[in-house]
Amino acid sequence: MISLQDILALAGLARVKITKAEAVGLQNDFSTILDYVGQVNAVSSTVEASVPEHHNVMREDVPYAERDIVAMVGRRDVLVQAFPEEKDGFNVVRKIIQKDE
Amino acid sequence: MIDLTTLTIAEASAKLATKEYSAVGLARAYKDAINDKNAELNVYLEVFDDIEEQALAADARRAQDEKDGKTSHPLLGIPLAIKDNILIEGRRASAASKMLENYTAAYDATAIRKLKEAGVVFLGRTNMDEFAMGGSTENSAFGPTKNPHDTSRVAGGSSGGSAAAVAANLALASLGSDTGGSIREPASFCGMVGLKPTYGAVSRSGLMAMGSSLDQIGPFAKNVTDAQMLFDAIAGLDPLDSTSVDLATYTTQPQNKTIGVPRDLLKEGVDSDVLAQFEQSLDALRAQGYKVVDVSIPSASLALAVYYVIMPAEVSSNLARFDGVRYGLSVKGENLIDDYATTREIGFGPEVRRRIMLGTYVLSSGYYDAYYGKATIARTQLAREVAAALDGIDVIATPTAPCPATRLGEKSDPLAMYLLDIFTVTANLTGNPAISIPMGTVDRDGNQLPVGLQLTAAHGAEATLFEVAKAFEQ
Repeated sequence: MISLQDILALAGLARVKITKAEAVGLQNDFSTILDYVGQVNAVSSTVEASVPEHHNVMREDVPYAERDIVAMVGRRDVLVQAFPEEKDGFNVVRKIIQKDE
Repeated sequence: MIDLTTLTIAEASAKLATKEYSAVGLARAYKDAINDKNAELNVYLEVFDDIEEQALAADARRAQDEKDGKTSHPLLGIPLAIKDNILIEGRRASAASKMLENYTAAYDATAIRKLKEAGVVFLGRTNMDEFAMGGSTENSAFGPTKNPHDTSRVAGGSSGGSAAAVAANLALASLGSDTGGSIREPASFCGMVGLKPTYGAVSRSGLMAMGSSLDQIGPFAKNVTDAQMLFDAIAGLDPLDSTSVDLATYTTQPQNKTIGVPRDLLKEGVDSDVLAQFEQSLDALRAQGYKVVDVSIPSASLALAVYYVIMPAEVSSNLARFDGVRYGLSVKGENLIDDYATTREIGFGPEVRRRIMLGTYVLSSGYYDAYYGKATIARTQLAREVAAALDGIDVIATPTAPCPATRLGEKSDPLAMYLLDIFTVTANLTGNPAISIPMGTVDRDGNQLPVGLQLTAAHGAEATLFEVAKAFEQ
């Protein structure tokens, strides 16, 4: 059974906050789910892991307008409007550089 | 007064062409039906306020086409509902999540652009499990969708709103998305036709990504012909989705009127009356001249376990983008890391967080080989077995789901809910096209509940699916 400590560490890695009560619930869920999906541990096969059948589709490195993809042209303003906080057309983000103390 | 209960796209299209109907008249009929029933069923998260304007434009276009001597597109003026994870420029798209409750789509999904070019009328955006994670629409942040056949039961999921919209005659047809059965299972629960196309047949540009090696957009409709019309309109290679393929890529074998049944999979876990309906369906196909043979897909018993490793792994990567920095919900915490975690605590519901964490686990160092590594090997093995099973036959047939629609709240344990996907996940793992078509009803507490027949064909063989499904409809 997965430990409560592991559940809390996973939440940290996954960048989600969970309450202690939720962590206990997840501990139970994870144990049942991992028991079930753990069936795959026993797989032994000579096949290689999945290799895509199709060639990667490369695109020309030119603006959408020149490639005639109108759906993507002139989207700057709408993307800016979606920013949680905007100033002069830029996305305001938290300052992460700090002086050593 | 237009009778919506039996109306199909094909019929509406013909009547619009002869002017017996106008697009505006049709749109009003649906608006009235929505006003009548949406509050009870919770099918639409939003009903668009410009439905009549869209319909007026469709009528104007038809008049112009006539003047120009052009034949109008068969979908011109056809009212459709769209799942809330498919972008329509300028409209909200929330994926039924608090995370995107106030998000406005910045561009059209390719499938939507094609439908706009055809001149359809968008009625609204439909309810779903949050970020398409679930099999009942109960994971919606905005309440579950009720099954029109029995409102104490779920509509299925994750595209439950899109299925129920068509079943309750609140849309003529609709679009959903299918990552592990999210079109076929609600189609089965609501008694509709639902198609998961070949992986890559329909562009995913503008579909919110869940499991990128699994996701496909597909149609819900009342019959196979309608589903085919909608599929034809949205399919095709797209430079904005590098996984999209031209279906001509695949060489399809000639049909030989043979249907394969993987009997080993049906031995346990399927309701007996669902199995009885399935056997009757096979008889009906025999009566249409089809031969039914046994096929063996040994790895299929592992498919669900494989799916519930690969899908959460992809979910944990795809949903990393929702961090409150560029768009969507943004909640400030004590520092940058805390900003992310707090935003995701408030923005995501429990099932989404559960899958993100599960994906994080199976991808983490020390567990990667045992879970994700093994699952990808089993997936390749499964794809080969399905291809071998389909060699020399037209389709593989199974029930779509092991049971009819469950009661609201019945599957509170996550694993019990996952087990509903037992027959549907294989087609997503292997990329094959699969369709669910109604195969009759079963009785639960005096209510007749629909159940679906699932047919799976070779890559690119949608035409075969449609042909067998149409033969079955008769």
